[in-house]
Amino acid sequence: MLELKNIYVKVKDTDKEIIKNLSLKIGKGEVHAIMGPNGTGKSTLSKTLMGYYKYELTKGDILFNGKSIKNLEVDERAKCGIFLAMQDPTVINGVTNSEFLKTAKRELTNEPLDYFDFIKSIEKSLDSLNFDYSMIHRHVNKNFSGGEKKKNEILQIQILKPKFIILDEIDSGLDVDSLKIVCKNISSYLKENKDTSILIITHYPRILEYIKPDYVHIMNNGKIEKTGDITLALETEKSGYNSINKMNGKEKNE
Amino acid sequence: MNKIERKEKFITISKNQEIELHLFDKENKNIIYSLEKNSKLIVYQYGFDINNNIEIQLNGENSEVEYHYSLIGHQNTQYNILVLHNANNTKSNIYNHGLNVLNNKMDFNIVGKVPKKSKNCICNQENQIINLKNGNSTILPNLLIDQYEVVSNHSAYIGKFKDDILFYLMSRGISKKRGYELLIKSFLINNSNKQEDLINLEKEISKI
Repeated sequence: MLELKNIYVKVKDTDKEIIKNLSLKIGKGEVHAIMGPNGTGKSTLSKTLMGYYKYELTKGDILFNGKSIKNLEVDERAKCGIFLAMQDPTVINGVTNSEFLKTAKRELTNEPLDYFDFIKSIEKSLDSLNFDYSMIHRHVNKNFSGGEKKKNEILQIQILKPKFIILDEIDSGLDVDSLKIVCKNISSYLKENKDTSILIITHYPRILEYIKPDYVHIMNNGKIEKTGDITLALETEKSGYNSINKMNGKEKNE
Repeated sequence: MNKIERKEKFITISKNQEIELHLFDKENKNIIYSLEKNSKLIVYQYGFDINNNIEIQLNGENSEVEYHYSLIGHQNTQYNILVLHNANNTKSNIYNHGLNVLNNKMDFNIVGKVPKKSKNCICNQENQIINLKNGNSTILPNLLIDQYEVVSNHSAYIGKFKDDILFYLMSRGISKKRGYELLIKSFLINNSNKQEDLINLEKEISKI
């Protein structure tokens, strides 16, 4: 579904290179997790996939279902089915959640909205996310708690139905109960949409107990240093990221 | 300098009355509101390429005003509002939003005045001008307060819609053009819930 071919990414209008020669393949229906210390380029990677204006892909290519998306605008990438659930979702003062979702749904499908279906699916999602119905009339993310912001990202996934989801530290700032609700909703979405792939960006393996990854990658210094399964995440939690660095150094020396 | 022609209006809100006004203006106006004891005035005013002078006199105790003003400017525009807290326990919340469409001037002069004799007043103002191009906009957010027992806040922002907001909208599949329309509409509607305001405003926005 998604293939990153030897990509290099830098901050626009500077020489600051963040991602260096990173390659990754994510197949249909697969769940991948990327872990790594702070400042290693995980969030840069997720925003680059979505076409964030502050980053520039200097080399390599990003293929989505076999086609290059590197020159597509942000909204065109979303129309391909890519969704970035953000670490700190933006507040949009004055725009209600309802207006925002209706506009996005119409733009994504390029069809008039079926209001009955729309309202039904909103109600179902609000119930399952344990959200008060009034939130749909609140301005997007305005005065939302950390947990509410993350749940709002999941609500958008359920309504907009993307095919490839990037969860950028969706677990940060969530209490245990909210994390369970968020993960339960993502798992249900995956069950109902079996071809959907997920890229989880996280510091901690806690979220991976609820959404089981097929592959875990450890990222450091702008590249993927090691790939394994869930045991790699658990080992890393025990021994820290430095042990991976040391191990890699040792392997290289040998 | 050419003298600006303005129509004059005087509106009095009588004791214990509450009034809500929705105004769409395409000609210059001077409006003076006078509020008596325990009265309340709520205004949603939308101006299009005009110059307005507004004066609100909170003359009676416990009188209160909530003023939402939105201006679209394709030419030089000037908006002045003066809120006079002439009695105790009076309250004003003023929200001024301007959209400077081209490369012209848009000037807001916003004054809240609490004299020494008026105690326990609340005097707030929030001002924003969005420059869609490279317009020259100014906001003068003035609070002239001569009394310690007052709650007062002001804010002023002049600039463009933030790129991160547009990125967020576009990341959900909304095109740049539609994203701008959504932001402009939400900014100018200025918290009105009236469907008619929205319809009238959409007609004007479609001309931008």
